[in-house]
Amino acid sequence: MGTGISMGVETMATFPISNPVPPRAAMRVAGEPASREHLVDRAAGGDAEAFEELYRENVGRVYLLCLRMCGNPSTAEELAQEAFVRAWQKLGSFRGESAFSTWLHRVTVNIVLGNRRSTARREARVKPVGDELPVDLSVSEPSPGQAVDLERSIAALPDGARTVFVLHDVEGYRHKEIARLTGLAEGTSKAQLHRARRLLRKALTS
Amino acid sequence: MNCHEAIDRFDDFLDGRLDAVEVDDLQAHLAGCPSCAAELESIHELRDLAAELPRSLEPSRNLWPAIEARISEAKVVRGRFGRRALLAAAAAVVVVSSVVTAYFIGRSQAVVVTAQSPVVAESGPSEVLLASFKGLGVDDYMATRTELMNAFDARKHELSAETVNVVAENLLLIDQAMNKIAEALGEDPENEFLMKQLAGAYRRQIDLLRRAVRMPAEV
Repeated sequence: MGTGISMGVETMATFPISNPVPPRAAMRVAGEPASREHLVDRAAGGDAEAFEELYRENVGRVYLLCLRMCGNPSTAEELAQEAFVRAWQKLGSFRGESAFSTWLHRVTVNIVLGNRRSTARREARVKPVGDELPVDLSVSEPSPGQAVDLERSIAALPDGARTVFVLHDVEGYRHKEIARLTGLAEGTSKAQLHRARRLLRKALTS
Repeated sequence: MNCHEAIDRFDDFLDGRLDAVEVDDLQAHLAGCPSCAAELESIHELRDLAAELPRSLEPSRNLWPAIEARISEAKVVRGRFGRRALLAAAAAVVVVSSVVTAYFIGRSQAVVVTAQSPVVAESGPSEVLLASFKGLGVDDYMATRTELMNAFDARKHELSAETVNVVAENLLLIDQAMNKIAEALGEDPENEFLMKQLAGAYRRQIDLLRRAVRMPAEV
């Protein structure tokens, strides 16, 4: 699609998504509707229609996560697409220790971070382009003006600070988990968060 | 507790993860340190603002056709079905994906289509295709399609010529793709993959028609 994203399996850095756990049937997730469990089972068995339903349920959240982490709408679409393809390929390893949406969320984070690493290796950095953020972020959910300002300010953050802020303050990850996903030390994660908050406060009050 | 230690505990404090002793220590520090108290208040406000951000946003284009094409390729690699049927199905899937993509791009970017207006109402699915639907439990396809086509025809005067052309062209292409899948099914009637692709194409065409009927007036 012309965005220069390299997602080859051979070159993609991957991160552990789940630890060995009992089979899904023996470990149901509280709050996961049976119908969705059934959809996941069908998709894992190769049913593309079931996977399409999972796609439609989750694409908005996956896309927005990609957009916030990379700051560029067209790149975010490519990454979201890649995340679903990767999820399809890895569905067999999903054992139900968390909700499917949570698992998919981690797959997406890995895709975005892996892309960033491969892009950095090619010295073709994906730059945050605040002006390309959709101006109508409030279309899907009503959002006050200050929230839109925050979206734009997040997009303008340096890569490292933006990643940690989105994962910690927006998505609710803890530093330990962020460190495992990104390969950063926990202390570095905390420092990046502090830096992100400082830059955001400055941007929001200027 | 010094300022560095206090700041390091702010997130755990706000998340309720400190024990009672730690909370007391932190509050004692905050009571005597206006700078840290202001910092905590500022972080609290920023976290609240972040928590109110939208959780979902639809991308500007439909990503599913491209995803479907790629996961279908993976099925081909698995080699469950005959080569000829798979080639036919893969070609049809690509066609369906392309036209749906073209449709959404056309809608989102207001592409001006100059192609000749295709004759959709007079084309429709072949006998082979209609026979295939019976096995898919969607033998009400023609009734649904006709009903939606009539509704679309009734709305044509409210839509721009470009929009009408885009919809008509895509309906025709989906028809053609469905016929190709049905022909492949004729050779391999038990092919589950082909059946699912056909049912998916059926669903997309009906979805396209429903969207077309719901479009806001343009003229």
